[in-house]
Amino acid sequence: MTTWKERLKDEIPLEMAKLIDTYEAQMSLRQQGKMDEKVFAEARLRKGVYGQRYDNGQRHDGVRTQALAYPSEDIVKGPDTLWDAPGMQRIKIPYGGLSARQLDVLSELADEYADGILHITTRQDIQLHYVHIDDTPDLMRRLAAVGITTQEACGNSVRNITACSLAGVCHDEAFDVSPYADAMTQFLLAHDDVQDFGRKFKVAFSGCAGQACGLVKMHDLGLLAQSREVAGELQRGFTVFVGGGLGTVPHQAKALADFVTPEQLLPLTQAIARVFARLGEKKNRNRARLKFLVAKLGIDEFRSLVEAELAALPHDPRHTAYLDNVRDFVYEPAKAGLQLNGAPLPEGFDEWYRSNVYRQVQAGYSVVTLHTPLGDFTAQQGFQLADIARKYVGDNIRLTVEQNIVLRWVADADLPALCRDLRKIGLGDAHAGSIVDITTCPGTDTCKLGIASSRGLTAELRTRLIERINLLPDAVRELKIKVSGCFNSCGQHHVADIGFFGNSRRSGNHKLPHFQVVLGGQWQQNAGNYGLAVGAVPAKTVPAVLAALTERYVAERAEDQNFQSWVKQLGRKEIKAMLKPFMQLPTFEDNPAFFSDWGDSRVYTIEDIGVGECAGEVVSLFSMEISKAESTHFEALLALDDGDFRRADERAYRAMVLAARALVRTKYLDVGDDNDRIVNEFRERFYDTELVYDRFAKGKFARYLFKRHAGQPSLLDEDYAHQIIDETQLFIENIHSAEQRINGVIVA
Amino acid sequence: MQTVPKRLAMKLNLARAPQLQPADIVPIFQRWIQQRTVPGLLIDVIDYKHVPDGPGVVLVADEADYAWDLGAGQAGLRYIRKRALPDDLSAALRLCWAGALAAAQALEAEAPGDIVFDYQLVEISYLDRLQYPNDRQVAATALAALATSLQEIFGTKLQLQRLHDDPRYLLAFHCVAGRSLADSLPSPARAD
Repeated sequence: MTTWKERLKDEIPLEMAKLIDTYEAQMSLRQQGKMDEKVFAEARLRKGVYGQRYDNGQRHDGVRTQALAYPSEDIVKGPDTLWDAPGMQRIKIPYGGLSARQLDVLSELADEYADGILHITTRQDIQLHYVHIDDTPDLMRRLAAVGITTQEACGNSVRNITACSLAGVCHDEAFDVSPYADAMTQFLLAHDDVQDFGRKFKVAFSGCAGQACGLVKMHDLGLLAQSREVAGELQRGFTVFVGGGLGTVPHQAKALADFVTPEQLLPLTQAIARVFARLGEKKNRNRARLKFLVAKLGIDEFRSLVEAELAALPHDPRHTAYLDNVRDFVYEPAKAGLQLNGAPLPEGFDEWYRSNVYRQVQAGYSVVTLHTPLGDFTAQQGFQLADIARKYVGDNIRLTVEQNIVLRWVADADLPALCRDLRKIGLGDAHAGSIVDITTCPGTDTCKLGIASSRGLTAELRTRLIERINLLPDAVRELKIKVSGCFNSCGQHHVADIGFFGNSRRSGNHKLPHFQVVLGGQWQQNAGNYGLAVGAVPAKTVPAVLAALTERYVAERAEDQNFQSWVKQLGRKEIKAMLKPFMQLPTFEDNPAFFSDWGDSRVYTIEDIGVGECAGEVVSLFSMEISKAESTHFEALLALDDGDFRRADERAYRAMVLAARALVRTKYLDVGDDNDRIVNEFRERFYDTELVYDRFAKGKFARYLFKRHAGQPSLLDEDYAHQIIDETQLFIENIHSAEQRINGVIVA
Repeated sequence: MQTVPKRLAMKLNLARAPQLQPADIVPIFQRWIQQRTVPGLLIDVIDYKHVPDGPGVVLVADEADYAWDLGAGQAGLRYIRKRALPDDLSAALRLCWAGALAAAQALEAEAPGDIVFDYQLVEISYLDRLQYPNDRQVAATALAALATSLQEIFGTKLQLQRLHDDPRYLLAFHCVAGRSLADSLPSPARAD
């Protein structure tokens, strides 16, 4: 029977194929208990393979906690995370850009491996839920065949790089940031300098200062496009912000540099990554984001360190090679841009046009926003949307940080027909970007850290608001609501006019789901201001709280006064007083409905909260690197079993080189990936110094590497393959022992 | 012998629109988990009723999911077998039928007279694009094998029709019987 690996072998770029093969080998090693569970967890996370709620084998059913006896209950894919428990696959979509073909494949995967739903995240990723880990290598291969990777979608590395969904077609932008986001994605993907972070690292690009789309001020690294005139010519560049982030303790990013040219962009980013890797917190995950390092050092000291790192950075031709691609970066509309031509309009078109259509800077073209409720759409809608894209816009599809989809380069004359076609597939609703278009994280539906049902609340608010949308004043319609299931801010509640995040309170012997109300955040100005928490209310009162807030806002606001200004004017004390009546807790006997969450009939409990994987596992760089050597050694074993002795030899040799590299990198990060250089550095630093010497065998194991590095034997038979695989195993063990023995010396 | 697809789904449509709404299914499925009403390792309930023509409300289990499915604008019970399918196609179909029937009958018992399934039509999907790409040749071979297996299981000949010819869609068939298949073997108790 053929496999996806065989079927797609000519369609997957070699480097991507290798990364997936390595991951698959790591899966086998973990199943056999030959790979540490924490190291595997981090390796898995860096492939976007994430845990889900109840994957520890327990679930409260509303009456009692039931054990979930999965078939392979003794095998784990991470600490307290059972192998067979369904998980989430996060898929990176750099700056949200998708082709029609990619959308087709994503949809195929959703109905074959997941639950038929594609979920758009606030980082322009796609997530598939309820995926079995055994399916993930094939899923990755099918994505890789159409140019999509899951590499570093989770874990302590560079997450999906985001950018304004209007980039390239926007009236306000300095220039199109898309090719720069693309270049940075390619440059940082699996880069050596982003493998040793204590936490994740988020990057965003924005084309202008005033709008929200890029949200650069809430990112670890934010790049804001600027242009300036130099000798009569307009020069492109970026203002660089660092140390922003939401989470429990939100930080506004600080300006690191006012103007960085495209030539300096990638080296500067690399230098920042190196400083973060070297000085960022590794043990306490709660203080390990870049924002804490910047706050601890101060922006001036951080800048000095980055400048010093930049000065010492080895030359890399990739730093500027991408600039040719920037010049060649063009969009291919499916049709010529034509104005609306008086064709009959579908009913409700004007309303849809007002809320969902943005006129591009290019005459005759528009961007159309498709509002996906809760960020979800079905595989069937995915196929249908891909067809619609082919018909109207070609490959000009993007995902947005508000969990929507945009079709760009729509000829204006096609808008009525497009509106009709989108309605046929359930994606033609008006009110995109309005108060009904609520952003939400997965919350207790699937997240291990969820405290309250953010999706349940969002669905309820959305249903109620849609019923009344035509009665709402414009000032209310335009408000942004964002909901998180806990304080970790995945729903970005800090940057909404009205934000909510889940928590809980006790009444008698029972707990009630609650939401903390966060008011006055600013979405515009690239997430220019964070809202303030003003009090927690029971989840079931949130619709009433929202009504009270918006009604009072409409009644009391001055003409043209926005919500943030009104909140500020009202003051925290008065707002708290307004919320107080909603904060009263009933007893369970008086009102049992308060003790269940939205969309969940179970009596509420917080017993299902687990350990999140957002932070990844704190695993040393050496552990991650040596695990690659071990999985490559495993591939050699598989090749031996297949009778492919040439490949067995090649994989064994590669495994030895990777093991040597793992040790060398503990002392010399920039060793690169050239075999000669790695072996020379290893010999000089560890063999000649006898640091790698075994107590009894002395330098014997290291000489296995030197022997094979000197040349491939003429006869590649089974005996030889056996021998080199055994030698590789001994060499890897030797490296492990050496690292343990000398680690203190090296680090010091 | 026809290879068994990696995953297999069966959907039974409702005979008529019920009073009961998709939101009412959430507490039913939650209770099924508490009381282990249907076979399998029942894990959680997901609510996708906000998505038009989608999977509706899904009771996720380890071996197979049970969905109050709203796909193609037609409400019904969809049983999606994900794991531990037997190597033999007839045995795999029997297993899926038992699972689908168990859940359909349990749902009918939740709202007698309101929830009524049409047991003369079964939609069968092959969730395996590697072995069963949705092309004409594969579909013809699969249809012949499926017809034989279904006749063996139900003791009656079913009319089969391929649902889509778009190669991106799952290979799927509408299988129509001349009589109700509800009392056909195997019994729900044999679902696992």
